[in-house]
Amino acid sequence: MKKLSWTILIVALVVTIFLIAVEAYYVAVALVVGTLIMSHRELWSLIRKRKLPPVDERVKENTAKAVRNGFIFFAAATAILMLPFTVILTEGPDTVQVLAALFLSAGLVYLLSYLFYDRAEPKMTEKRLKLLKKFFWVVGMSIGVFIISVFLHNALSGLFGVEEPVFFIIAVILAPLALVVGLIGSLVLFIMGLVGNSS
Amino acid sequence: MKTRIKEYRAKHNLTQEKLAGMVGVRRETIIFLEQGKYNPSLRLAYGVARALQTTIEELFIFDD
Repeated sequence: MKKLSWTILIVALVVTIFLIAVEAYYVAVALVVGTLIMSHRELWSLIRKRKLPPVDERVKENTAKAVRNGFIFFAAATAILMLPFTVILTEGPDTVQVLAALFLSAGLVYLLSYLFYDRAEPKMTEKRLKLLKKFFWVVGMSIGVFIISVFLHNALSGLFGVEEPVFFIIAVILAPLALVVGLIGSLVLFIMGLVGNSS
Repeated sequence: MKTRIKEYRAKHNLTQEKLAGMVGVRRETIIFLEQGKYNPSLRLAYGVARALQTTIEELFIFDD
């Protein structure tokens, strides 16, 4: 949990620097204020006692709920925002439409798993459950890797003035491929769990 | 759910902060427990009961 706190703080710092660099000052201020409001107890404890307050079960529960709901909101928002790209098929599907369809499917899988996970979990064997979690992990990682690769590709191309190939291939080929594998795998296992007999 | 944590805490002359330190939780968690707004795990309930030298049944009262 300490690692998570540090990760959140470092990510917030990097995003704030990025927002200031692109002159989005209001968003940067909102991010800083939001981070301070969220972590005021931790900061206050660090100032007063020079140590972080204990991360007890209530805090863990609340953090897990917030992360889960945040991720579901992110998945739903991505799915809704990507919807126009998937339905406007004018001259055959292009890269954006394929990626949009993948994102939309990922969002739907996560929504499904959020809504019906409690129903599917008791019917699944431990082995399948582990595999399902691995597929979910692959889906989540591929989305994260895609976003980071797009950012790094644009940043490196902009900095050095040449078309950067490595992150381009990761973003356009490898990450979507992993997303497809994760999506199909998790959907198949999830549906098998939903319709299967309780073990 | 009602609790008698406040009563037992007063009996042992403990502040919320001190009890929190003994159990290894945040002070806010003790506040929520005293107000009956948080259902603790069995481990935490046992920890609080032990810190206050009583039993879980004495400390936590469930309305049927």
